Amino acid sequence: MPRAAFLDLARPSRRHWLGNLLLAPAVLLIGLIIVYPLFVSVDLSFQNVNIARLDQARRPFTTANYERLFASEDFWNACWVTFKLVIIVSTGCFLLGMATALLVNNRFKGQALARLLVALPWAVPEVIAVVIFAWLFDSSFGLMNWIFIKLGLVDTTINWFSSPSASFAVVCVVMIWKGYPFVSIMLLAGLQSIPEDFYNAARVDGASAWQRLLNITIPSLMPVLGVTLVLVMLWVFRDFSIIYVLTGGGPLKATQSLSIMTYEQAFGFFKMGYASAIGVITLIVCIIASRLMIARAPDTM
Amino acid sequence: MKRSRLDSVLLYATAILTCALLVFPIYWLVVTALSEPDQLRQLPPKFWPDQPRWGVFAQILAERPILQWLGNSALAAIGAVTLSMTVSVLAGYSLSRFKVRGGQSLGLFILTAKMLPATLLVIPLFGIFRQLELIGSLWSIILAHATLIIPFTTWMLKGYFDTIPRELEQAAMVDGCSPLGAMVRVILPVSAPGLAATALYGFVLSWSDYAYARTFLTNAQTNWTANLGITTMKGEYVSNWSDISAASILVALPILLIYLFLERYLVGGLTAGSDK
Repeated sequence: MPRAAFLDLARPSRRHWLGNLLLAPAVLLIGLIIVYPLFVSVDLSFQNVNIARLDQARRPFTTANYERLFASEDFWNACWVTFKLVIIVSTGCFLLGMATALLVNNRFKGQALARLLVALPWAVPEVIAVVIFAWLFDSSFGLMNWIFIKLGLVDTTINWFSSPSASFAVVCVVMIWKGYPFVSIMLLAGLQSIPEDFYNAARVDGASAWQRLLNITIPSLMPVLGVTLVLVMLWVFRDFSIIYVLTGGGPLKATQSLSIMTYEQAFGFFKMGYASAIGVITLIVCIIASRLMIARAPDTM
Repeated sequence: MKRSRLDSVLLYATAILTCALLVFPIYWLVVTALSEPDQLRQLPPKFWPDQPRWGVFAQILAERPILQWLGNSALAAIGAVTLSMTVSVLAGYSLSRFKVRGGQSLGLFILTAKMLPATLLVIPLFGIFRQLELIGSLWSIILAHATLIIPFTTWMLKGYFDTIPRELEQAAMVDGCSPLGAMVRVILPVSAPGLAATALYGFVLSWSDYAYARTFLTNAQTNWTANLGITTMKGEYVSNWSDISAASILVALPILLIYLFLERYLVGGLTAGSDK
């Protein structure tokens, strides 16, 4: 076989060398702007520092940040807020994403347009999504209050951003709206890889639409579903812009997730060491979650 | 299989209703921008302004430094994408074609880096950039955005290169190309659509960032990116939703256009490296 001969003759040594050479710039850059900062972060979390001045002498090693963190009510509140957000928003994104994917997977006139529209919020920057919903939920002239009153759900206008539960709900609505298209796009890709024959065979056997969904569609989507779920949960877990611009973590810390708390401690109170400790905890959660994802998708590599 | 008439009607009704509901917030943004500010305070609300003020875009561009903010966003995104694409084309090709020692673990690390919270990296980067005196300069944003983009583009490109048969560059090498020449002259041109789609994704990531811009660029308004500028408008002009909406449309427009262009590649791109 000429190709095998070619490979044997010219490549092995040079191949290795070239592969490394091509990777070098990426390794160097990732080392400088991701790995090194991560080490700095872990290092800061074990020092009692207020302002990150890397040119100053290193403070002595201490676990005080972590001790304070685990004893702090705010930290456990942020964990609880983050947990609620992850559960509610991921579920919402999933239901809506699944429903829209199934919908636009049908063949109908205008299907291409429907597919385009359903995924459109994906293309709206998070900050702009916040502007849109902040206005929709405006307490005096927002459309939402008007609709709620028209529908007879409430009799006076709600001040969405001063009630803890209402602002938490608005944060969830914005995140679901911004996040569901991703689920929809991923699941649509999964749906389109299911052979049509499966459905035809099931129809011949007299399976109802519901049975086809439960016995063909959902099982075939399982691998995509798993990966998508982890990706969405991670996105909710670490999202910063939506909450920060919409509520700033308030009122009464009702929307203060771990990301918001990290940022507030670092750039609101300049407690860089303490903030880094929260960051390191979130990093550990992210690593565990991404490992879970890789375990679910063994062919990722 | 033919659908029954009732099923068809139901399907169309559901499709139209769903699209209308989900796209409504974007429609409302447009209506708000085109309405006179005092019209917005009338109840019942008008679902289309009597006299759309199309001039609002020109007016807002004249009143506020939005063009400058958009320019900053564009410069940051172009810089970050250029930097990221340069290193990740090489790395993606290497990960796809060569069995490099440590390549597997590097790939895993990159995948993990895709999931890092911005609020974690923003603290050490702030310290590093301060020492390098990059705070307030677009260079800080270019480097910070590269941390968002590189993990993403490297995976997408590796996935893309995997779909191109190796025989292509092997044939070129038989014809006398060097391995690097084969990559540059044969593989890169063939990958042009994938490269373009990946670069545009990188652009979207950079354009949408808020956290890094908020932290590194706060010193002078002239350095702000568009997203940062919009949030300051939201803070200061609580009542003028028309102007904020008009500015928001200008900021979202580039991404919406990219989305319309990319929609076909969206599926392949987003799923690359995660569910293959």
